[in-house]
Amino acid sequence: MKLTDRIQDNIVVLEPKGKIMGGPDASLLHDKLYELIESDRKKIVIDLAKVEWMNSTGLGILISSYTTLRNNNGELKLANVTDKIQSLLTITKLVSVFDAHDSVEEAVKSFE
Amino acid sequence: MGKPIIKGDTIKIPSDPEFLSDVDIFLEGTLRGFGAEESVVADIAISVSELVNNAMLHGNQSANDKVVTVSISRGNESVTVTISDEGCGFDPASVPDPLADENLLEEVGRGLFIVKSLMDKVDINPTEKGTTIAITKAI
Repeated sequence: MKLTDRIQDNIVVLEPKGKIMGGPDASLLHDKLYELIESDRKKIVIDLAKVEWMNSTGLGILISSYTTLRNNNGELKLANVTDKIQSLLTITKLVSVFDAHDSVEEAVKSFE
Repeated sequence: MGKPIIKGDTIKIPSDPEFLSDVDIFLEGTLRGFGAEESVVADIAISVSELVNNAMLHGNQSANDKVVTVSISRGNESVTVTISDEGCGFDPASVPDPLADENLLEEVGRGLFIVKSLMDKVDINPTEKGTTIAITKAI
């Protein structure tokens, strides 16, 4: 997995790319998240458009991001959830946990 | 054993998550060679990544001298992948229900549940010398 980030309308948009399967992937996203929280950036969108697939480690990273932000008075939104990831969120009932949007623009707007 | 070894339809890797991507490249290449659709390739790749993760961490306890073996075989209309570790075996019934309200926000514990959801058949054979799990999916 590769990870880039950008700012859109004062919201941080994280863009993981590739497959999220474990190993170094978890610490990459986790470290980025703590770096953002420490710099008081606590409204974050994860754009999943370029994630080919993820496994339960990937879901664990999303949950960790969600709870870490919530515990620091922040908020996480998902955008562009692919069919494969949506199917995993549905079978694991995590679809009820995450606030998911069809586009980054919609996700960013939802913070207003 | 310091790095992956591939022989025919089998790959052996050390118990280090760094090598998960080696298994994935080997697996997806083999499945595409079988003519599997991309959605099926992804389902099998997700499942194998779950089971290899489990085999390294829970089976082999991340021990450097223990390996995980992944073998792929093609049937008439299906693919079977077996994943073996060198641990002490486990009781599949002891895995907590990841759908229970109290477990919903747990960061781990969904791997086997996802595998069972994505695959057509899952055979778990735990022994004192290691666990072998065979997963089968129609292609």
